[in-house]
Amino acid sequence: MKVVVGQGSCGIATGAKKTSNEFERIVAEKNLTNVVIDKTGCIGTCYLEPIVDVYNEEGALEARYVKCTPDKVAEIVDEHLIGGKPVEKYVIPTEDEAFLSQQQRIVLRNCGKINPEKIEEYLAVGGYEAARKVITSMTPDQVIEEIKVSGLRGRGGAGFPTWFKWNAIKSNKGAQKYMVCNADEGDPGAFMDRSVLEGDPHSLLEGMIIGGFAAGATEGIIYCRAEYPLAIARLEIAMAQAREKGYLGKNLFGTDFSFDIRIKAGAGAFVCGEETALIASLEGERGMPRLKPPFPAAKGYWKLPTNINNVETYANVAWIIANGGQAFADRGAEKSKGSKVFALAGKIKKGGLVEVPMGMTLREVIYNIGGGIKNDKEFKAVQMGGPSGGCIPAQLIDTPVTYEDINKTGAIVGSGGMIVMDEDTCMVDMARFFLDFTRKESCGKCNYCRIGTKRMLEILERITKGEGKDGDIELLEELAGKIKDGAMCGLGQTAPNPVLTTIRYFRNEYEDHIYNHKCTAKSCKALIHYEITDDCKGCGKCARNCPVNAITGEKKQVHKIDPNVCIKCGKCEDNCAFGAVKRV
Amino acid sequence: MSNTCGCQNGGNADFAELAPVLEKYAKVPGSLITILQQTQDIYGYLSLDAINYIAERTGIMPAKIYGVATFYAQFRLQPVGKYLIMLCKGTACHVNGSDMVEEAVCEHLGIKDGETTEDGLFTLNNVACLGCCSLAPVMMVKSADGEETYGNLTKSSVKKILDDYKAKNA
Amino acid sequence: MNKFRLNIDGKEVYGLPGQTILEVCRENDIFIPTLCYDERTEIYGACGLCMVEWEGSPKLWKACATEIAPNMVIRTNTKRVFESRKTNLELLLSNHKGDCRPPCMLACPAGTDCQGYVGLIANGQYEEAIKLIRDNIPLPGAIGRVCPHPCEKACRRGLVDEPIAIANLKRFAADTDEFGEDPFVPECEPDTGKNVAVIGGGPYGISMAYFLRQMGHDVTIYEAMPKLGGMLRYGIPEYRLPKEVLDEEIAVLEKMGITMVTNTKIGEDISFEAIKRDFDAVCVGIGAWVSTGVRCKGEDADGVIGGIDFLRKVVRNEKIDLGKNVAIVGGGNTAMDACRTAVRLGADKVYNIYRRTKDEMPADMIEIEEAEEEGVIFLNLTNPLEIISDENGHCRQMVLQVMELGEPDASGRRAPVPVEGKTETIDVDTVILAIGQRVNAEGIDGVELTRKGGIVYDKDTFMTAIPGVFAGGDCGNDKISIAVESIGDAKKSCLVVDAYLRGEEIKYEPNYYVTKKDVTPANSSMQKREKTTSLRLYSAMMKSRQSKKQTAVWNADVKTTLNVSSSAMQICMM
Repeated sequence: MKVVVGQGSCGIATGAKKTSNEFERIVAEKNLTNVVIDKTGCIGTCYLEPIVDVYNEEGALEARYVKCTPDKVAEIVDEHLIGGKPVEKYVIPTEDEAFLSQQQRIVLRNCGKINPEKIEEYLAVGGYEAARKVITSMTPDQVIEEIKVSGLRGRGGAGFPTWFKWNAIKSNKGAQKYMVCNADEGDPGAFMDRSVLEGDPHSLLEGMIIGGFAAGATEGIIYCRAEYPLAIARLEIAMAQAREKGYLGKNLFGTDFSFDIRIKAGAGAFVCGEETALIASLEGERGMPRLKPPFPAAKGYWKLPTNINNVETYANVAWIIANGGQAFADRGAEKSKGSKVFALAGKIKKGGLVEVPMGMTLREVIYNIGGGIKNDKEFKAVQMGGPSGGCIPAQLIDTPVTYEDINKTGAIVGSGGMIVMDEDTCMVDMARFFLDFTRKESCGKCNYCRIGTKRMLEILERITKGEGKDGDIELLEELAGKIKDGAMCGLGQTAPNPVLTTIRYFRNEYEDHIYNHKCTAKSCKALIHYEITDDCKGCGKCARNCPVNAITGEKKQVHKIDPNVCIKCGKCEDNCAFGAVKRV
Repeated sequence: MSNTCGCQNGGNADFAELAPVLEKYAKVPGSLITILQQTQDIYGYLSLDAINYIAERTGIMPAKIYGVATFYAQFRLQPVGKYLIMLCKGTACHVNGSDMVEEAVCEHLGIKDGETTEDGLFTLNNVACLGCCSLAPVMMVKSADGEETYGNLTKSSVKKILDDYKAKNA
Repeated sequence: MNKFRLNIDGKEVYGLPGQTILEVCRENDIFIPTLCYDERTEIYGACGLCMVEWEGSPKLWKACATEIAPNMVIRTNTKRVFESRKTNLELLLSNHKGDCRPPCMLACPAGTDCQGYVGLIANGQYEEAIKLIRDNIPLPGAIGRVCPHPCEKACRRGLVDEPIAIANLKRFAADTDEFGEDPFVPECEPDTGKNVAVIGGGPYGISMAYFLRQMGHDVTIYEAMPKLGGMLRYGIPEYRLPKEVLDEEIAVLEKMGITMVTNTKIGEDISFEAIKRDFDAVCVGIGAWVSTGVRCKGEDADGVIGGIDFLRKVVRNEKIDLGKNVAIVGGGNTAMDACRTAVRLGADKVYNIYRRTKDEMPADMIEIEEAEEEGVIFLNLTNPLEIISDENGHCRQMVLQVMELGEPDASGRRAPVPVEGKTETIDVDTVILAIGQRVNAEGIDGVELTRKGGIVYDKDTFMTAIPGVFAGGDCGNDKISIAVESIGDAKKSCLVVDAYLRGEEIKYEPNYYVTKKDVTPANSSMQKREKTTSLRLYSAMMKSRQSKKQTAVWNADVKTTLNVSSSAMQICMM
């Protein structure tokens, strides 16, 4: 029997290691020699972590235990591992199974199924067969043709046809060519790449090998962000194992094609997700974008032809070669073929990773798969594309998720982050939040981004503090337009998007803040005040916890908050067991 | 790990620990960031003396190294406390109340973003995203023993986690 | 190499493959602004100022970095391009903390690059220094000696200890050049065929001539006095400004080819009409040479003389019998000049009468201090009430009203109020009234005058009511000030006059500068830093010394020079 404990970063954060250790302890104690404890990557249902899968002797899945904290382990060992009967109350509920069954997992095909630290398990599911096929029996042109048929577009956000990029680097001459993987995943709210890196690193390696063959490159570099130490560790293990078996290194599969990969850790700069900034960082410089043209495919890393693709893009490649480009193209929508991984997070009941065919609507993703809004509150907007994207309002929830349809709304598909927001989220504050992020991450090279984001942020901060002025909205729109026109790289060019989409769809919230001194979502501290309603039972807990003694009241009488003293810390609201403290 | 010494003059004058790193990377073009990362792993931060020493051994101008060190958020030019609290301020965490968690941490420890507690136990750093969005709000605590991630934080749960660390070091 | 055709702003131009849009534009006199572009360096493309529109493309392109293509159509002057540039510059300025230029240069009425020449002198580049000074000041030796140096008041070093000695350094540079072997004479442009008459050979007139002559115009200065210099010669005593210095500087003007007609007063020796007729432009700098009175009883007695008149007489070596007791009324530099001149002429008692205190006197502190050293008796907080004459009508005594300081007036200074009933009487043989000056525009017919008699001129064009007749310096718009202010007037208006001579009408437009307004003594950390660096240096030197005696001496030295405590020294030695 095999007990597999999901140990991606999310799993570990919820205590999966402790669960795994507990299993090992009890299994050893009870001397169960037929039980093997193993690990796997992120299954995707992050909201149910820690997850433990139990497989029987034949390798079939007997039970999937969710929210499996160490205290449940003893019971599972006794009743299931020894007794043979799964503990039903800990098993994944049927309705949550739908979360997984509605997905079409290509990129995440192996995540949650295999142990990422054992190359044998990857090989057992057909790993490196596609690479073998390509290197021993196909030409670079044939490979590129297959990718073209599949319609694969860059999954990092730009959505650029992958075959085109590979063809470009193939046609360029250079002493050495490089295949670079952008594993910087800087978008806050995005963790798709992390799962692939932690859960199925070989799929990335195989994709890069195939890409390298098509491009004529002999060296691959994975630029992985420093905030993913587990991913880097698992990649190193995978690479070492691949080298051992001859899948990386010299003369792969007995041909004269050599290809090896190394990892370069990022150092914490969102702008290094931009390809020329990434190249600068690889060269040991500050991550500041460079002029294009020349494009990296012609002159990139050390001025040699370089191709940069996202982790997810590479992860699709082996599957496409194995199953044919047409199989990929048969899924998804007309211009946006195949499937895409989305990271559902925010005010959603079932947050996690979902891979769905492109063309599914937002409603289907958020409600059918994601289970709807936390606490059944009202859905307000979904933010797509991170700081480069925009907020799509509730009335557009039936928009199909394709590159073109989402672009029409003013947002972008981006890397796949989907942050769901409800009635309590202030959209002006969201715009301010994103501008704060882009301002901090701006590399500082061009005037528009460096200073423009600062000025826009100042205006937004004033508005959220209740100091908005007449003309601020128009000024924001004007500045946004100019910054989009003038900024040097994608960071600056897309930084105004959150502001523009929130103004487009939620102008009333801006106007509320400026002209009515009101925060529509009752979130901005400066524009709300706290009041105690008649639901108050007079228990006095709020008054005891108030740091500035702003609450007065007799025992068992309705209490009162003095607005002149109140500092709006919210402690009263937190402490009230009766929900009597309300924001007005 | 001598990450509590704040002296900028003298201190670790010989940087013996850096020798193997520089052996490997000093002459490899484009390795500056790797060198700085490994230096920070050894000493806990990048002192000016370390930067000058790296400049001498690699031939890269100190000003250039300083420019790279200050560009990337990962590099610290001041020593950090025993526990580095990396509090996630990403979108999902923000939407789920990371600001409140930050308030609780600041109040409980008496420090602000970028500061270290008087007893040298904790340093608080806000980070842009940790990639654990389903567990928002999230923080990672980094120390010599490794990293621990804590999710689904509330004002009270974060205080308890910090108190546990304090108790361990009492 | 095949040149190909492209279209920029509707103009057909040719370029070679590999050239950028910017290069082709520059070859064809099409202006595109840049900030980060320099031919000597690799293209950086950061500032975004050079963006242009490329027909057929939705986005803007950087002219400095985009290679030309055959038949491309570029527009550099569309609304979208202009708005992009404007926003770009606005963003830059919104973040700009200052300073575009240093406070000393901004404080100088003539806009002299003090920072520049001080630096050059520090480098030992005296020749370059004097050339830089002479860009703005034709009389550096004179100004360096007498200017009340508003630059030094603005100098930020003054927030830490003392301002840089800008004026003295100017004097040094001038003396080194003018009394050296080969004094610098500025080059003049080729003759333009235009001629200009300058009326008045004072600071304004000399400067106007100096600047216009450099632009190639033929200049003649008409001066009523026997020699040029104006108030510099006839209002400032020898001990403050030796005439020799002025003579050297006027000699430079001669070498430049400026014609000087002295002893000629307009309206008397030659008519204004004739001047207007014979010259293409006229610049009037007649100064303010009339002393104003004090309006007290008995003012018209003999022996009562105006300050500037007194000083002029002395310069012209005319005989003056001062008597034993001299009283000088006034608190400015002219009054101090008069006091100290009186001392030198042998008066027994020299009184200075001023209705406020010493601290409020407008004269330079150094003048007041030196006057005191020379024995001048300061009767502050007194005001002339009456001048009592003897039987011959010559002044004998002066009754002074004792004053005290009351509430501040419009200028912010505390107004003196008489103390009821209290007076003082002193014996006087001569009373010198150095209170103020007034313009006498007699002879300059046709110009509009102010109520006080000054010549009216437009503040942007410096032109008077008569087209082609300009004015500046003390004689215009009731602006009676210091010499460098008059030089500044000339510097500002010479471009306007030059344009006028070419048939154009322009205005003087000051440059736009951003300045840092928040530098205070509190945040000037220079003092602290300097002390620490010097301490470190001393300690390093100390450690390498053997002799205890030397150490002791140096210890004492450091303590006094840097004013540090013994404990600080101890810490440093460790």
